[in-house]
Amino acid sequence: MLPYRYFYGLIGIIVLLAAFASCTSAESERISLASFTENYVDVSIHLERDPQGKYLLSATFTPPEGYHLYSKDIPVTGADGLGRPTLLELTPNSLMKPAGMLVESVKAQVPDFGPENLLVYPVGAVTLSLSVELPPGNGWTEDELQVTYMACSASLCKPPVVAKHVLVSIPGMEMLDP
Amino acid sequence: MNRKLTLILMGISLLACNFLFPQAQRSTPDSADFRDPQPTGFTIVRLHPTDGDLQTMLANEAQKAAALDQMPVVEFDATWCPPCQAIDQAVKANNELMLNAYAETYIIRLDVDEWGWGDSKLHDFQFDAIPVYFKLDSEGNQTGEVIDGGAWGEDIPENIAPVMARFFHGE
Repeated sequence: MLPYRYFYGLIGIIVLLAAFASCTSAESERISLASFTENYVDVSIHLERDPQGKYLLSATFTPPEGYHLYSKDIPVTGADGLGRPTLLELTPNSLMKPAGMLVESVKAQVPDFGPENLLVYPVGAVTLSLSVELPPGNGWTEDELQVTYMACSASLCKPPVVAKHVLVSIPGMEMLDP
Repeated sequence: MNRKLTLILMGISLLACNFLFPQAQRSTPDSADFRDPQPTGFTIVRLHPTDGDLQTMLANEAQKAAALDQMPVVEFDATWCPPCQAIDQAVKANNELMLNAYAETYIIRLDVDEWGWGDSKLHDFQFDAIPVYFKLDSEGNQTGEVIDGGAWGEDIPENIAPVMARFFHGE
């Protein structure tokens, strides 16, 4: 039999945890749209609503240990043909519409060796986020987007993935914002 | 006046010399195909799937390598691969370390964009990153000795050359 003070303490902790959980869910809603691994890079795509009520489409690219990805700002065909950018894009067929610029979670930098215009992200995962408008509706809709990326270490490269189409189910705007 | 005339005549004769006896080109052509069977010689060739079956072509190239007393090695590379291109540039720039490492080798380059990655055209070449090098025997078969960029650090000749030299020549 637990003494009363332990019982009330336990209740207090549960209430605090519940309050914390409700606060965080009020701050952002996160819906997993897709995840896959291709050419040794894990990609997970999410839809989030920020505290201002804006929708953010985000993709986290996780390369193998010791590998890095290339800046979203290098040309699609690479810097002088080298590397491939990391991109999260809507396609002409996408129902979601862009409402802002693509934002990176980490700043790209000039590589220690090699061409200076071949900007790279630090070794490890990178998240790209794009503010989007959801299509009207009160249900789930099939939609598509595309990703591009390529992972290299200081002396090795995995093959690039270029403009890979990803099919996702997205909620209509009224569904999340009645 | 005579001095001016002499200078003009000297200039014209120099131009004429250059025109009549151009300097031998030692630099590589734009393509990666590069043969340099010189004293420290090595050879670089590139094979394309349109040229035929890989195993047959490797057997042919291995015979050519033997005739030159060079060691046949398959290298997988790609135009988008910075480490691969860094190696290529160092060789084309006649970097002494790289030239010494490549001495007496017969490099057979295969572009993964042409040959695929784990594709059936590649028979049993297994790899998951490039650049990667496979030693061949005199009949064009893999010896089982493989090295890739993971064996050195940053892709600069000072790092690459000693590792490659050990791989190629056991130095």
